[in-house]
Amino acid sequence: MSIRLFLLVALLSTITLVNFIAALHGYRASMEEAQRLFDRQITGTALLLAALPIDRTAPLVVEENDLQAFQVRSADGQLLMRSDNAPTTPIGDVQEGFSEQNFSGFRWRVYNHSAAGGRSIRVAERVDLRFRLADEVVLQSVMPILFGLPVAGLLIWLVIGRGLASLRQLASELRHKRAEDLTPLTLAAPPEELLPLVRSTNALLERLQASFERERRFSADAAHELRTPIAAIQVHADNLANLLRANDAAAPESLRQLQESISRMAHLVEQMLNLFRVTPEHYPARFEPIDLHRMAREVITELYPAFARRGQEIELQGHAAIIRGDRFALVLLLQNLLNNACKYTPEGGRVVVDVKQQEGVVLLRVQDSGPGMPAEERERVFERFYRVGGDRHESRAPGCGLGLSIVHHIAELHQARVSLDTSSLGCQQSPGLAVSVIFPLQVSK
Amino acid sequence: MLLTSVILVLREVLEAALLLSILLAMSHYLELKTRWIFMALAGGILGSMVYGAGIGTVSDTFDGMGQELLNATMQFAIYGLLLLVGILLILNRRGERRYLPLLQWSMVLAVTLATLREGSEVYVYLMAFRYQADLLQSVLLGAFIGGGIGFSIGALFYYLLVGLPRKRRLIVALTLLALVAAGLCLQATQLLEQADWLPAQSPLWDSSAVLSENSVLGQLSYALLGYEATPTRNVVAAYLCGLLLMTALLLLAWAKSRSQP
Repeated sequence: MSIRLFLLVALLSTITLVNFIAALHGYRASMEEAQRLFDRQITGTALLLAALPIDRTAPLVVEENDLQAFQVRSADGQLLMRSDNAPTTPIGDVQEGFSEQNFSGFRWRVYNHSAAGGRSIRVAERVDLRFRLADEVVLQSVMPILFGLPVAGLLIWLVIGRGLASLRQLASELRHKRAEDLTPLTLAAPPEELLPLVRSTNALLERLQASFERERRFSADAAHELRTPIAAIQVHADNLANLLRANDAAAPESLRQLQESISRMAHLVEQMLNLFRVTPEHYPARFEPIDLHRMAREVITELYPAFARRGQEIELQGHAAIIRGDRFALVLLLQNLLNNACKYTPEGGRVVVDVKQQEGVVLLRVQDSGPGMPAEERERVFERFYRVGGDRHESRAPGCGLGLSIVHHIAELHQARVSLDTSSLGCQQSPGLAVSVIFPLQVSK
Repeated sequence: MLLTSVILVLREVLEAALLLSILLAMSHYLELKTRWIFMALAGGILGSMVYGAGIGTVSDTFDGMGQELLNATMQFAIYGLLLLVGILLILNRRGERRYLPLLQWSMVLAVTLATLREGSEVYVYLMAFRYQADLLQSVLLGAFIGGGIGFSIGALFYYLLVGLPRKRRLIVALTLLALVAAGLCLQATQLLEQADWLPAQSPLWDSSAVLSENSVLGQLSYALLGYEATPTRNVVAAYLCGLLLMTALLLLAWAKSRSQP
């Protein structure tokens, strides 16, 4: 139910009801007043007629307007005088006073007055006259209300709209709030009625913020604390393998698997730490001009052994492109994109890194000739720990599902946009993946 | 003329508006779409114009009593529909959402018939003055005031019902439906008396000095409770029978719905 419609209908109904009932009351009061006024008038006419000296054998017929009629009769009932619109038969009651009667096609109010000498004077006045007067009075008082109602409706509509503006502002602020934005609502001068709602919402946001902060700290602390023991386990496992080798004993398969698992765990912990480090809300970014093309060349050089081991061809295209960015974060972004490309591209495949400046943005694109990614999965891969196909990914490459979350965080930090598409290096069986990161030239910080 | 016009239009509009607001509040209660209301009102208004235009032909049937008999039939039909609506509301009181199309069509038909009947009276009354220029203004103004009061009371009544706590809303609406329905039986009996299908009787009492039928409160009581200042024995019996029958059937439906799991 709309508050605006409810208030409009309820207020207009109340105004109409009160005014119309008042008009009806006014009508009744006007009617009574008109009755008294006209009664006084015909009583006066009767008294005037009573004072006239009339002594005739033939009745005198006097011309009268259509609204009043009268008869004067002698004590023995003989008609002495009448108005031309009055009948010759007696009108009104025999008793002294007021009565109502029909004649000449109208309803009349008749006053019967017994004068001195037994003469009877009857003066009549048309009843519809009185109604017309009362109608006229009420018409004059109701007409302004009738014309005023649409104006009142429009004004009420506008006033309610103004009154609800704060509510709309609050709704808009909540609607446009990003999922991760837990900062308090800032409503400029909220009305008293909205204050409890704003306060409760802000208290809720504060509790959520604290709870997310606890979760973040716990994960970051846990990852940090795990780092040292994992490194120790890794050293002990390597020592054990070396010892077995020194004694010419073959290392058992389980030791190899243990080393692989430790390495995966170390990678996971490292990635978790990276993810929390580059959380946009907490990352202490140090922005400086960086040539993204040059940085890509450095990272490719650093990771080249991994590509070479898998017989993959890696190529850097494009030209120098300067952006303002955080060096550590951008290296991490490139490492993650290239590691993913290396991991998911089959042996002997091809990876192309392209950096160029175009139409006010800097585009970094990493394309591979791997299996690609179905369109319906492309939104979800930025979620933490989400992996296409779960752990049964057809590449069988080990991973923890954090790489693209880290990329997303870093892109957000640089106000950049990440999009996934099929690669131009792919073929029908293996469409490949193209990850594009579009950096604005100016970062507002 | 103005006062007559106010009272006549108020009487007709108020009856339809109260029925409409009760049913609309129940639609809101059951979270039904309220588009049906436009269909019912459009059908009722169109029907009232057709009925009003052909009132002469209708009146000439049944030895000149066709209008009274048709109106009485419509009142009994609305009574039956309200009874059905009441029972279906009870069957849905725990959000079962059963027989909803039947419930909605019963509401549409009840409002259409009520609008048709009340609207035709207003139409016939107003059309009688169309060539009397000196009276037309007063008559139209009176009709507007009567209509305005009727619709305003209807709208406020709707918000009053919708604002009631959910638990009490159904009970209040059912009580009002039973009272309005009993009032319909009363009016139908009066029409049958006018048509000489029931013997004419002298009034059992005259309470017009306490509450005049020509006052707004009198008209509200007439529309809501079937108030009649000078009722005959037949009319009182019809009112009580209508009320008792509806109450008994609604209580039976309530008891049945309680015994169901």
